Amino acid sequence: MPTRVVVTGIGLVTCLGSGVASNWEALEAGRSGIGPITLFDTTRFATRIAGEVHGSFDPQGFIPEKELRRLDRFQQFALVAAAEAMKDSGLECPPANPFRYGIVVGSGMGGLGTIEIGLDVFRMKGPKGTHPLMIPKVVANLAPGLLSIKYGFKGPNFALVNACTSGASAIGEAFLMIRSGRADAIITGGTEAVVTEFSVSCFNALRALSTRNGDPEKASRPFDKDRDGFVIAEGAGIMLLESLEHATKRGARIYGEVIGYGATGDAYHVVMPDPEGEGAYQAMKMALEDAHLAPGKIDYINAHGTGTELNDVMETRAIKKLFGKAAYSVSISGTKSMTGHMIGAAGAVEAIYCLLAMAKSVIPPTINLDNPDPECDLNYTPLQAARRKVEYALTNSFAFGGQNASLVFRRLD
Amino acid sequence: MDEVEKKVVDLIAEVLVDVNKENIEPGSKIVEDLGAESLDIYDMIALLEDEFGLEIKDEDVEKIQTVRDVANFIKAARAAS
Repeated sequence: MPTRVVVTGIGLVTCLGSGVASNWEALEAGRSGIGPITLFDTTRFATRIAGEVHGSFDPQGFIPEKELRRLDRFQQFALVAAAEAMKDSGLECPPANPFRYGIVVGSGMGGLGTIEIGLDVFRMKGPKGTHPLMIPKVVANLAPGLLSIKYGFKGPNFALVNACTSGASAIGEAFLMIRSGRADAIITGGTEAVVTEFSVSCFNALRALSTRNGDPEKASRPFDKDRDGFVIAEGAGIMLLESLEHATKRGARIYGEVIGYGATGDAYHVVMPDPEGEGAYQAMKMALEDAHLAPGKIDYINAHGTGTELNDVMETRAIKKLFGKAAYSVSISGTKSMTGHMIGAAGAVEAIYCLLAMAKSVIPPTINLDNPDPECDLNYTPLQAARRKVEYALTNSFAFGGQNASLVFRRLD
Repeated sequence: MDEVEKKVVDLIAEVLVDVNKENIEPGSKIVEDLGAESLDIYDMIALLEDEFGLEIKDEDVEKIQTVRDVANFIKAARAAS
């Protein structure tokens, strides 16, 4: 029997709130976290809205105030989300055999905000003005690095950079490592803080972002005919994965089991997904085969659902191709309608939303789905949350670059 | 403490996460007493240079041990300019 892998702790920082409880409350109520950008002056920007994490994201004081200036925002989010997950898990740290405990955290762009500010100073003052903390604040692998220092985990430790799929890929790879016996437990997930002036202007240059500035809460509209691009957001989702044996031995609370992971690459285009959704289809298929599960068994799909025409139609096609008739009975939702798109954190946050849907027997809604795109004709749980027992859930993440990842979870009673 | 020493204490306290400002005295040795490591030192130099508008060379740093040494260095640099 291969090692079984379970989730025993979860933590969230998103525009819906800091902490799992505030996230769930907003999801269930169908409340958007999107608002005007406050992190920089948007006067000259086509897009002036985002899903920002607001000031009080560390209400429990997990990071000493003095340490904040030494950490980029993506690192702060990871530390706060991990603190919630680790407290939730009840795991004693540092562990007795630290080399059996690893960390894999995804981030699409690492400390981009620090680079922007640092480069301004560099242009003004030259090399002498460069701050000594730039490198540790910028590199993506300092998220897992900082977590290892904090929790004393000395096993495999790396960052995973895969754009919008980073968080899901990190969880998938962590799952494989535990299943293959290389580690007993791994802190994993994703973190991102790219609501920055340069990042927003770059995504604007690609015409990827919604410009519905006058109505921010209505801007993120996955599967809706009137969508006009995705809404950029920031945050982190961190979970503790453990082998079932390790979790059971210490009497841990189990949120669910990771039973399948699929990963593919489109080999198609730098920013567009394959319109036929072949890569997405194959990632879901691989995840379900890995889980030894027929598509019809899935109760809930947390879709990638970005609210771009290219994604929503492609993803719907891929689901239909794989699920056949069952595509019409599975509950789907695009929670980015509420959170916006957290890039490298999105897949991890949405994996946690799947676990919560299983725990609560509630499917979070796709808000703003007022007029479905005729090509998007599945049950996306429009406007309001729905009650449904979720035994099996699947989450999709697809990236610029053509990377696709799907994860399958099982509820354990 | 004079004004320069007070400002130096403020900046050192900002850098050293585990040290309370009340425990920093003019005679405190920055490495031995306050536990600063190399990255802390570089961070302090950057803050001091910004605050006092001067340049602290690596060879100057070698001669500095205490909080008072830092303040005296700043005063000397100011007098020379």
